[in-house]
Amino acid sequence: MIANTLPEAVRRAAEEYGAFVERLEDPLAYEEGCAFHFSAKDNLCAVGFQARAGSRVLDGYRPPFDATAVERLRQAGGLLVGKTAMDEFGFGTFSTNSAHGVPRNPFDRERACGGSSGGAAAAAALLEGHLALGVSTGGSISCPAAFCGVVGLTPTYGRVSRWGLIDYGNSLDKVGLLSADPALIRQYLPIIAGPDPRDPTSQAQPPLDLGGEVGSVAVPEEALAGLSGEVRGSFDDALAALEGMGIEVRRVAMPSLRFALPAYYVLATSEASTNLARYCGMRFGDINEHTDQSFNDFFAQTRSRDFGREAKRRVLLGTFTRMVGFRDRYYTKALQVRQLVIREYARVFRDADVVLTPTMPFVAPRLEEVGRMRPLEMYQADFLTVPPNLAGLPHISMPCGYPGGLPVGMQAVAPHWAEGRLLALADRWGAGFAYRRPEVRA
Amino acid sequence: MKIGLEIHVQLPTRSKLFCACSTAGEEPNSAVCPVCLGFPGSRPSLNRRALEMGVSIAKFLGCSINEEVWFSRKTYFYPDLPKNFQITQYETPLGTNGRFEVGGRSIGIWRVHLEEDPGRIRRVGRAGEEVALVDYNRSGIPLVEIVTAPDLTSPEEARAFLVDLLIELRHLVGVSPQDEQTVRADANISVGEERVEIKNITGLRNVERGLRFEATRQSRLLAAGKRIVRETRRFDEERGTTLPAREKEFEEDYGYIGEPDLGTFTIGPMARAMVLPETPLARAARLEREGLPAATARQMVLTSMELADMFEMLCPRVGREAATTWTLGALTANWKELQGRLDDRTKEEIATLVEGVRSGTVTDSEAKLRIAALAGKEVTPEAPAEGGDLEALVARLVDEHPEVVKDYATNPKAANFLIGQVMKEGKGRYSSKDVAEKMRKELEKRV
Repeated sequence: MIANTLPEAVRRAAEEYGAFVERLEDPLAYEEGCAFHFSAKDNLCAVGFQARAGSRVLDGYRPPFDATAVERLRQAGGLLVGKTAMDEFGFGTFSTNSAHGVPRNPFDRERACGGSSGGAAAAAALLEGHLALGVSTGGSISCPAAFCGVVGLTPTYGRVSRWGLIDYGNSLDKVGLLSADPALIRQYLPIIAGPDPRDPTSQAQPPLDLGGEVGSVAVPEEALAGLSGEVRGSFDDALAALEGMGIEVRRVAMPSLRFALPAYYVLATSEASTNLARYCGMRFGDINEHTDQSFNDFFAQTRSRDFGREAKRRVLLGTFTRMVGFRDRYYTKALQVRQLVIREYARVFRDADVVLTPTMPFVAPRLEEVGRMRPLEMYQADFLTVPPNLAGLPHISMPCGYPGGLPVGMQAVAPHWAEGRLLALADRWGAGFAYRRPEVRA
Repeated sequence: MKIGLEIHVQLPTRSKLFCACSTAGEEPNSAVCPVCLGFPGSRPSLNRRALEMGVSIAKFLGCSINEEVWFSRKTYFYPDLPKNFQITQYETPLGTNGRFEVGGRSIGIWRVHLEEDPGRIRRVGRAGEEVALVDYNRSGIPLVEIVTAPDLTSPEEARAFLVDLLIELRHLVGVSPQDEQTVRADANISVGEERVEIKNITGLRNVERGLRFEATRQSRLLAAGKRIVRETRRFDEERGTTLPAREKEFEEDYGYIGEPDLGTFTIGPMARAMVLPETPLARAARLEREGLPAATARQMVLTSMELADMFEMLCPRVGREAATTWTLGALTANWKELQGRLDDRTKEEIATLVEGVRSGTVTDSEAKLRIAALAGKEVTPEAPAEGGDLEALVARLVDEHPEVVKDYATNPKAANFLIGQVMKEGKGRYSSKDVAEKMRKELEKRV
């Protein structure tokens, strides 16, 4: 973005693109200078900002602590310039399910940024030298990275502490990084990664190894069905280019991938429906005036008023899938499917270093098209990003084509803890493929 | 009659189950943090000490221990529950299938698991203008839940079960003696076919009262030819009755799912490596098998396990009978004072005294005095100053009691009276052997 100063660039990203839902405005804070600047998705707690996670129910909530990732970047000299727009609690694929405005795609303001870390991807695309903290549950880093033409890394589940992350699905949520410059991701991943006693699931990780090589990629046939022509074309070109770089491309079958989507939505909504239970007007959510009712009615009133449609839908879905009589059929079965998907990846990783697919089946849609999509169509758009998320595998999305001037992303998936392999691939790819920045008019 | 109990006992850890907050907060809402208040973005970390205590209880109750356990979310909406779900254990309790003996009967234990306590609601203000206040100091307090099979046969037995269980747990993990008043239980009771559940009873006494009321109520219904409805009732502490609980209050479908934030815990090796101490009632049972009357054994261990130690130290040296007499007599009488002073030397001194009585070198009353002295009783500093050394004391007492000198000529046992007097004035400073010797010498001189 052409702007003379960082505060000006942040202001324009907020006002013209809706990338930020709250930004650092204090000129003195900018004056002091910084080693680098970064943003945090609005579901990451940061002292000095509200943490609303796109939800009206958290309006006015100012957390008393920093998320670990935010804290570590601050300690490394980073300046937190704002909180980025997102779908409410991460529930969405286009960042359109929010109480705080819809971010606009830097390549075309009429199009969606993708989601749910849409604001993060927009900020990464718009601001020079910017690092955006994103969060992925089922593809919320890959998807907007692809639509906004930036690189998005989702680390292995448990690699980055989730302390201070407002939960969507705790067994799936991962804090990651988006940037137009993959070197920044390589530089700052080690800062945010590593064990944190405040998140027990981060304690068992092996040390981060940023070495790694990619000599072969596996392309599952199942991933190539249902792609738009533009995406298919860009991806085929990318495969040819990779072969040109001496990387072997193997076609494989991964039949279990098609079970990943329903299993993911069952687990994610089951967990989400318990995570959202606390927002009932007692401590979080406005205390409504009608305190003379029974607590159930009081809670229902706050929740009815302050949750958006998609949040309500997922609470209902998730409550259903864990009910007595249905739990075994849905929740427990989904846990088994997760193991099946993990095993299928493990099998493919015996013969290939990464699994490679397009990130999204189409380019960033127009916002009016998004408005016409039915929930199930939206969920289905995640069929390529969900499997690695369900399996807790690290993955990276990077631009691989610009048909009609709109970015197409491809997504590489590596074995657990092998983030280094993904960064190696990104380096090799970036050396031979020219990333474009959006043309932003002054 | 069949009664089953679900008992919640607080584990005596210093910090809460999932955060570092103190378990001893006094001022309402003073021991709270983002974790136990359920702040968005906070997450739990398990208190290892609580896990160890829970495992030792499961092992003590003879449960099969699960190799690997995890936690679950039990979701229900209630104003005292910060997250509107409680972190508990569902599929994998610490242990299952144990038993606990009460009054010679074996009561089945279905499961033992850990869970967090919710906050506490206090209603204040006049009737009609009541306000409910929530104190979250209790939120996250570690509880162990123990579920019994419906093996108890009367309200009295249910209470006896709880009394004995708490005695053992107090020794095993140090649960608070206040737990007799604060232990919380749900009780299932069926007199006929259908069972009724009484929820949220606090304190041992109330468990018995609630069950008694319910047993009578159900028996009367049956006697009147009526049917008992399967239902959940609540205990009314003030009236001592049970009332039907409102349907919604105890939602049965908690929609359990795993708690992903805590991960899994392998407790099998921990349980196997654990060496449990002998608990008071287990010890009483052993002493009983070894020949001590049941009531005596129970009295001994309930007074103090150290007293029982003393008993077991005396047994091989002076025999069971003398050991019992001295343990329940002089030692128990002075126990309050003795307790803090019982180092090995003192114990040895007591044993030697009792042996002395057995062999006749120490008189019974002398030994009692010496034990009292060891307990720190009646030691007055003037006595030695006034009495001077032993010889002077003996001489003085002999002077004061010419009648004894007269008796002694024909009856040497008369000396015992004076020996006793010397021991008394000497406040245990002199060995009885010395005293007896000196006294005899002195009397011989005068006869």
